[in-house]
Amino acid sequence: MDLKLTEEQEMLKTSVKDFIAAECPKSKVREMQEDRVGHSPELWKKMAALGWMGLLIPEKYEGMGLSFQDGMVVMEEMGRNILPGPFMSTFVATFAIVEAGSEAQKKEFLPKIARGEMKLSLADMEPNGKFGAGGVTLKAAPKGDGFVLNGAKMFVEMANVADYLVCPARTKEGANSEEGISLFLVDMKSPGILCEVVPTIAMDKLCEVKFENVSILHQALLGEKDRGGVALKNTLRKAALARCADSIGGMQACIDMTVAYMKERVQYERPIGAFQAIQHIVADTWIAMQTARYLAYEAIWLESGGQPADKEASMSKAYVNNAYKLVSKWGIRLHGGIGTSREHDVSLYYLRAKAADTAYGGADYHNELVADKIGLVK
Amino acid sequence: MDFSFTEEQKKRREEFYRVCAQLEKDKPHGFSGLESTYDTEAGFNYHLHCAREFAKRGWLSLSWPTEYGGTGNMMDRVLFAEARGYHDIPGVDVFGVQMLAPTLLACASEEIKREFLPMIASGEVQWCELWSEPNAGSDLADLASTAIRDGNDFIVNGQKIWTTGAHFAHWGFGVFKTAPQGKKHHNMSFILFDMKKPGVTIRPIKYMNDFHIYNEVFFDNLRVPAKIVGQENEGWAVVNVLAGFERSGIDEIMRMQRELENAVKYCNETKVDGIPLAKNPLVRNRLAQIAGEIEAARCLAYRVADLQNHNEMTLMDASAVKVFTSDVAERFASLMTDMLGPYGQVKLSRWAPMEGWWERMYQEHFVLSISMGTNEIQKNIMAWYGLSLPRMR
Repeated sequence: MDLKLTEEQEMLKTSVKDFIAAECPKSKVREMQEDRVGHSPELWKKMAALGWMGLLIPEKYEGMGLSFQDGMVVMEEMGRNILPGPFMSTFVATFAIVEAGSEAQKKEFLPKIARGEMKLSLADMEPNGKFGAGGVTLKAAPKGDGFVLNGAKMFVEMANVADYLVCPARTKEGANSEEGISLFLVDMKSPGILCEVVPTIAMDKLCEVKFENVSILHQALLGEKDRGGVALKNTLRKAALARCADSIGGMQACIDMTVAYMKERVQYERPIGAFQAIQHIVADTWIAMQTARYLAYEAIWLESGGQPADKEASMSKAYVNNAYKLVSKWGIRLHGGIGTSREHDVSLYYLRAKAADTAYGGADYHNELVADKIGLVK
Repeated sequence: MDFSFTEEQKKRREEFYRVCAQLEKDKPHGFSGLESTYDTEAGFNYHLHCAREFAKRGWLSLSWPTEYGGTGNMMDRVLFAEARGYHDIPGVDVFGVQMLAPTLLACASEEIKREFLPMIASGEVQWCELWSEPNAGSDLADLASTAIRDGNDFIVNGQKIWTTGAHFAHWGFGVFKTAPQGKKHHNMSFILFDMKKPGVTIRPIKYMNDFHIYNEVFFDNLRVPAKIVGQENEGWAVVNVLAGFERSGIDEIMRMQRELENAVKYCNETKVDGIPLAKNPLVRNRLAQIAGEIEAARCLAYRVADLQNHNEMTLMDASAVKVFTSDVAERFASLMTDMLGPYGQVKLSRWAPMEGWWERMYQEHFVLSISMGTNEIQKNIMAWYGLSLPRMR
C-alpha cells in the first residue's frame, strides 16, 4: 500500500494546474459559459499540443498510453479550475472506442482524437431522464446495409461542437435493459440530426439531439450488434469516476478559497475564521472532501488495475455527488453575500456541483446499484 | 497510488482473521465491543483470554521496533485491528497496548521502556488512563490533582473521572500536577503507578444502560515510586504524543462492516406485510448510503496508516476519521432502530431482534464521539493546527 502519487503523477498534476491557471482563468470560464457555443478552439489547440486528448489512448494510436489513474490526476486538476469545453465529453466517449472499437475504427478515430482533430460526446441520456441502460429507447432499425435512427437524446454534453457521438440505441427488445443495446458512432453532420443547447444551471452546453430518419452505415456500429450494453456500462462507470475526480478537485478549490477568505475577512475586530461556528463548518467540509477523495481513489485504483468494481464506483459517485454539493454550498454560505454573486468564483463551483450530481448517475440511482451489490435481495 | 497488500501482508491478514474467528466462538452471549469488556467479570475474563492468545503470538507488540520484540511494521497493526474489529474481539488493551506502548517507545527512558514494555506485551496487565477531572474535561491542562515529590516517591492526591475500566486495572497512567505553582502546560508530569495500593478509591459511574464502564477515582495520600515518562513537569508534551495514538478507528470501521453484513442478512430474511425488508426502497437506499460511508471511512483510515508509514503528520486525517466514524456509527444505529420500529427499543431477550444489538448501539455510539477528544475538540484541532485558522482567546 502506498497512497501517494508517483513522481510522474505529481509532475503531470503540476503541469496541468499551471497550464489551466495561465490559459483558462475564471474570467475565461465565465466567458465560455456565457458564450453560445462554449468552446475555445485556441485553448483546445494548446491542450492538444500537450497531448492531453490522447492521455489514455494507446501509443500505437498516437496517444500517450497512460493509466486510468494518471487520467484521473488530470481530471482532478481540470475540476479544480472548472475547465469548460468538450474535454470531458471527448475523454469519456473515447473510453467506448478504446473498449469496443474494431481495429479499423480505432485506426480511424483514435489518432484524430489524440491530435485534437476530433471532438466527441457520449449520448447516454434521453428525454426520459433515466440513468444507465434502462433509459435507452432510441430506435435503430435495420435499413439496407445499415440502420436508421429515430428518436432523441438529451443532456448530451457539448454535442453542439462534437464531430461524432457515441450513441447507444436499441436494436432489439431484451429480457433486461442491458440487452439489445448497440453502440453507434454517429457523424453529427448526418442529415436528419437536429442539435440544440439546453439552458442549464452550469451553462455547460448540454444538448438535445433529435434524430429524424438518420441513416447510418453498418461501419458505424461500435462493437457487436445488440451487445453494446456491457461496453456502455463500462464506459459509464469510467465516466462516473472521471466526474468524481473532477468534483474532488472542485471541492479542494472551494475549501482553499473559503479558508483563505476566513483568515482575511474581519468582523467584530477579528478574522471571522476565529469563530468556532465557522471553524467547525470548515472542518466538516474538509472531512466531506477527504472521505470522498479516498473513497473515489480506491475505486479509481481498482479500475486502473483492471479490476473494475461496480460497487466501489457507485459508492463513490453517490457519495461524491452529495459531498460536492455540501462543500460548495458552505463555500457560498461562509463567504456571505459576495459568495452569491456571479463575479465570485465560489458560485461557479456550486453550479458545477449540481451539474456533476446528475452527470452519469445521481446518488439515488447509484445507491440502488450499491444496495444490489451489498446483497439486499431484489 | 496503490491500495493493495503484499502477498506477505495478505498471509498475515488471513492469520489474524483465522485466529479472531476462532476466538469469536468463545464469546459470552451478548458480548459487544469495548463496553462488554468492563461490565462483567465474564466479559473481562474473556478479554484476558483473548489477550493471552494474542500475546503468545506476539501480536500485542506487533508494530514495535524489533529490539523490543515487534516487527516494526505499522501495517501489521492495521491489519490486526481490522480482523479484531470485524469479529468484535477484545484482547487488546486500548490503554496499555494501543496508547501507552507507542508513547513509551516515543518518549520514555530506556529504563522505563525495559520495565513496562514486556509487561504490556504479556497481555496479563490491564491499564487505565487517568485523564479527565471534574473540572478539567476538554481543557485537560486545567487539571488540579497533584503528585508531589517526596524523595524517590510521589504523594498523589485528588480526583479523576470517566476512567474506563479502572475497576479492573492493575496499573494506571495519567497526568498530575507535579509543580502546582508552575506555568500552565509546564507544571504536570506523565506518571505510571500501581492501582492496587491503599489510597486509591474507585466508585462506578453507570452508563445510561446501567453498564459499568466508567469510574470516578479518588486519591488520598497515595504513595508510589516516581515513574515518569518524558521529563518531570513536562508531561503535557507526552499527552500530545499519546493523543496521536488514540484509536485509528479501523477496528470500529470493520465492526460496522460486519454489522452491515448482519443487517443485510436480517433484511433479506425478515418480512413485513409478506415482503422482505430488503425490497423496501427506503431501506435499500439508506443501507446503501451507510455502506458507502463505511467504505469511505475505511479508505481514509488506510490513508492515516499510509501517512504513519511515511512518518508524516496525520493530524487532519486522523481527526477526520475519528469524527466521521463516530458520525456514521450514530447514523447507522439511528437507521437500524428506526427500521426495527417498536422492536428497536428491546434489550437482549426473547423479543429482541438481532440480539438487542441496536438497542445497545443506539446508546454506545457516544463512546466514539465524546471520548478521546470530543468531535468538537477534533474540529478545533483541525481548524487551528491543520488549516491555520486563528485560535480564539
